[in-house]
Amino acid sequence: MKKVFVVYATDNVGTAVLEAIHTGDHVASNGERSDLEVIALADIAYGHKIALMDIAAGDTVLKYGLSIGSASRDIKAGEHVHAHNVESNRGRGDLAGRAQVAAE
Amino acid sequence: MSEFMGYYRPDGAVGVRNHLLILSGTVYANGVCERVADTIHGAVPITHANGRCQVAPDLRVTRRFLAGTAMNPNVGAVVIIDHFKEEGMTADDLAEDIAPTGKPIATVNIRGAGGFISAVEKATRYAQDFARQISLHQREPAPMSHILFGTECGTSDTTSGLASNPANGIAGEILIAQGGRMLMAECTEWMGCENWLTDKAASPTVAQAILDGVQHMERRALASGEDIRGSQPTGDNMAGGLTTIEEKSMGAVKKIGGDAIIEYLEIAEAPTSREPGNYVMYGPGMGAESISSMAAAGCQVLTFCTGGGHTSNHPIMPTVKVTGNRGSYELMRDTVDVDVSGVFTGELTLAEAGRIVYDEVARVCNGYLTKSEALRDNNSFAIHRVGPSI
Repeated sequence: MKKVFVVYATDNVGTAVLEAIHTGDHVASNGERSDLEVIALADIAYGHKIALMDIAAGDTVLKYGLSIGSASRDIKAGEHVHAHNVESNRGRGDLAGRAQVAAE
Repeated sequence: MSEFMGYYRPDGAVGVRNHLLILSGTVYANGVCERVADTIHGAVPITHANGRCQVAPDLRVTRRFLAGTAMNPNVGAVVIIDHFKEEGMTADDLAEDIAPTGKPIATVNIRGAGGFISAVEKATRYAQDFARQISLHQREPAPMSHILFGTECGTSDTTSGLASNPANGIAGEILIAQGGRMLMAECTEWMGCENWLTDKAASPTVAQAILDGVQHMERRALASGEDIRGSQPTGDNMAGGLTTIEEKSMGAVKKIGGDAIIEYLEIAEAPTSREPGNYVMYGPGMGAESISSMAAAGCQVLTFCTGGGHTSNHPIMPTVKVTGNRGSYELMRDTVDVDVSGVFTGELTLAEAGRIVYDEVARVCNGYLTKSEALRDNNSFAIHRVGPSI
């Protein structure tokens, strides 16, 4: 059984910090939540995140007990969670900032 | 409420160290400062590249950094040296700023003293006298509520947001529960989690100041041709597993705990409130400038959370390095004080890690030397510039 780290009890993702995870590995959460088990559907490199439960498109992805963005499509438990399936809810400040500076 | 053993200053502030500062008013006085500090037991030189040909708003910030550093309760006495007649910031101007603290101050002007050698002699005599005066100071019991606890993160990695920063936030909560205050700067790192911060703001004014501060820094960067938001998280952050800017920023700001944010400060500005809680300050992500701004605001101690390991150390504010990366701790154990990587292996809960960080900070407040202090690697005094040299 491989382990991923969960930083807050309400999180729905864990981070691979103890060991690299490979497709098909049985993965258990540890840290602040140790009741979840999934089978990895992808390789998860050091520092990357794995879904510890199904996350529906549009649902909040929680790490540190806080939103780090929304699922941009349905994410199955055990999937790699990263830019391909999570969207920032803050990101568009870059455009706003540019528009503001251009206007001045 | 617990106590620490500190040095009471004439204005009632309490230091955790008793330094004699040899403060350079301008780049051209650095050599004299270093020569004096070399001669005198325990003297700490503060040298820098500023003090000449600065635009007025920039010079005001420099003056706050220099005067604030000398006003820090960890400083027992100060000798200030300037070169000629630095407009807007002579040694006498700095002395006037520092005077309300009531600590012994002397000024030496190099030209007025008759040149380098005479200035060294004059300043060395003042410094010798002050070193002996402050050697009579004794540590006395003081409530932890006197502590303004600064916090910083740098050379961050995946472990920072998961272990060292949240553990540090818990350490801050322990101090605040005893009436203390915690200060966090680096508003570049608030970007993406402004809401988490504004939700904690003690008033709408503080919330608005936080939003304005982030936007101000972002626009300064944009004006210089750098789009911070567009480039965050950086390519290596993404490769390392960070997906969104809020994920990156949350990992950083988790180094303060859940208490209210009482006051928003401009860079290197001292808090006006004594209310227990969190305080935040405008400033850059650049570590040395950031921690120097917090020392100038009066922080007696600072934790520096680091993923990769770090050498950063402020000359007068003990800088406790904390890591959640065991490999970094092993590589950088000469200067990294606390290893909380046990949270990943199940040896520690985050709450226990927070207690370990707090206990180390409390020991340092009582006089325990950090690893970098023992090495006298005083590398991290730097002044933030807000204008060009002219």
